[in-house]
Amino acid sequence: MTAASATHGRIAASPRRFVRRHRVLERLLVAPTAAWTLLFFVAPLVLITVFSFGSENLVLFRISFGWTASNYSAFGGSLYLGTLLRSLGLSLGTTLGCALLGLPLAYFITRQRPGIQRLLLAAVIVPFWTSFLVRTYSWVNLLQSQGPIDRLAYGLTGHHFEVLYTPTSIAIGIVYSYLPLMVLPIYVALERVNPDLYDAAADLGARPWRQFRRVVLPLARPGLIAGIIIVGVPAMGEYVIPEILGGGKTLMIGNIIVNEFLDVGNYPFGSALAVSLMVVLMILLFALRRVQPALEAR
Amino acid sequence: MAQVSDNARDDALSRRALLRRGAALGLGLPSVAALLEACGSSSSGGGTPKSSIAGTAVMSNYPNWMGAHVVADFERLHPGSKIRQITSASSSIAGTVQQLKSGNYDFALADASATGQAVAVGIVAPLDWSKIPNIKFVSQSFRSGFPHGIPTDYGKVGIGYRPDIVGEKISSWHDVWRLAPKFSGKVVFIDIDRDCMGSTLKYLGHSGNSTVPSQLNACKDALVKIKPHLQAFLNTNVGQGLRDGSTVIAMDWDYDVAFNKQKQPKIEWVFPSEGMVAYIEGWIAVKSSHHFPLVESFMNFALEPRQYADFVNTTGTAYVEPAATAFVAKSIAGNPVLRPGHAIANVEYEHFLGQATALWTNVWQEVKAA
Repeated sequence: MTAASATHGRIAASPRRFVRRHRVLERLLVAPTAAWTLLFFVAPLVLITVFSFGSENLVLFRISFGWTASNYSAFGGSLYLGTLLRSLGLSLGTTLGCALLGLPLAYFITRQRPGIQRLLLAAVIVPFWTSFLVRTYSWVNLLQSQGPIDRLAYGLTGHHFEVLYTPTSIAIGIVYSYLPLMVLPIYVALERVNPDLYDAAADLGARPWRQFRRVVLPLARPGLIAGIIIVGVPAMGEYVIPEILGGGKTLMIGNIIVNEFLDVGNYPFGSALAVSLMVVLMILLFALRRVQPALEAR
Repeated sequence: MAQVSDNARDDALSRRALLRRGAALGLGLPSVAALLEACGSSSSGGGTPKSSIAGTAVMSNYPNWMGAHVVADFERLHPGSKIRQITSASSSIAGTVQQLKSGNYDFALADASATGQAVAVGIVAPLDWSKIPNIKFVSQSFRSGFPHGIPTDYGKVGIGYRPDIVGEKISSWHDVWRLAPKFSGKVVFIDIDRDCMGSTLKYLGHSGNSTVPSQLNACKDALVKIKPHLQAFLNTNVGQGLRDGSTVIAMDWDYDVAFNKQKQPKIEWVFPSEGMVAYIEGWIAVKSSHHFPLVESFMNFALEPRQYADFVNTTGTAYVEPAATAFVAKSIAGNPVLRPGHAIANVEYEHFLGQATALWTNVWQEVKAA
């Protein structure tokens, strides 16, 4: 081997070593996340799926894995399907509520000076530094009969606004709790928009509503879709807010799952309900993913 | 999440404990200084030699559900012994059993239903009653209702209401169902299946522990019928609305009505003529424990009338030891809500339902979903 070819070989080998080292480094960096995901996401998911095909002696609390599908067939009963549909309806309603409130709010924030924007974003986020339970229970005081909202409504309209322990109070609680999850992705989408576009639309004669509909809304769509997913999925399985603000009168699918695990101790049936809910949500997300490009292209 | 407190109080609250703490604060607790003098005396001694009473026994308990001085007095009496409370007791059967199966506890607070389930699972240790002679102070009816451990307290489910608003006397569950449409949206029921369905079964003239499917179906129908008129099913602060009249009739626990009646004297308590259900709670020993002498000695100590009175005065609960009455605060001992006298004969204690537990759960879910 000549000196020249040896040099060429070293040069050729260096990038290969670099790439190999880079790959090892990549794997090392990914390892903690992968291990975490495997241990605390994939493994429980597998476990819960395995449990869902088991059966349990509810007197002795003994689980046997006979690979029965009976837990899933019970899910087809009117009690569970009706509850699932109620949860779906409430989730859709509250997601829509969050979108209707979140979109104008996010747009308003992006139209402010940077300092004011930071202040308004803080105003959206800071209340959520306090405990979720405390915030939810505070709505009991706000919405109760003779509470501040009821008194205000009576003062303004002469009619009481007594909605505590109704599906309306659950919806209010969910919208309040999940609103920042809608505002933030929409804000991120709109914050990147060149403000000149709005001015151009105005110069071309678009009135504010038309400007909002034809310019803001299409540009906010990626954030809006992200917000719908981030809000809609957890709202579907929500059980704390219905428990506190629903007065135990509105049963949601999340409440049944919690009940099966914590009160009844029927892990296989609770697991089957959880897996079924997961499948329903995956179908909905898949459908949304299919229509997302078409929506964004509009 | 379980919170550890070495005899200290903390703020974690279970469903019933939330109410209980409020009740305890409201019932006007007397000074327990006088009790201390007697505590730690030889009167507490059982059949266990002092020398074998050592080590740490871990108890699953509700927050603040212990006499203010009981543990300290016991530890003073038995140097080297320690009672460590973990305030994680669950009010659900499955929750209790899962906790006890964990092997982390030597003894636990549990109600009769959860205890029955734990016995079925085989995790409750039989007690050596010769080591707990103070069990003699507990009324036989409570011992029968809680045979696998030492009974500590009970809670009746009756009716609290505002006669000044209702305008007539309520004396039965039948009256509640009859008046609910008239006071629609101002009636509250308890959000615990055993208490709510048990009371409804009483309304229908059945046992509060019924496992007969047709009776449970009738129970469901009765609850579904009244549900549109209910303001809510609540498991904390059930009778709070009675104070300002936002609730006019409540299916409620005795201690909660007693507590709210102190704030609003217009509230009245009713022993329904059809009868009442009541839960009994007590302490049970866990089979996996290695500290039975310590656990049994502490149980015996806590049943000593003055020590037991300390527990009653701290928590404000209805009590199971008539012998402790002399040491119990007058606001509790003389309270007709908590001490029902002859009406106690009309109380049916909740017990473990066995296979029918699942049936009850289904009916309860159907009521909630309706």
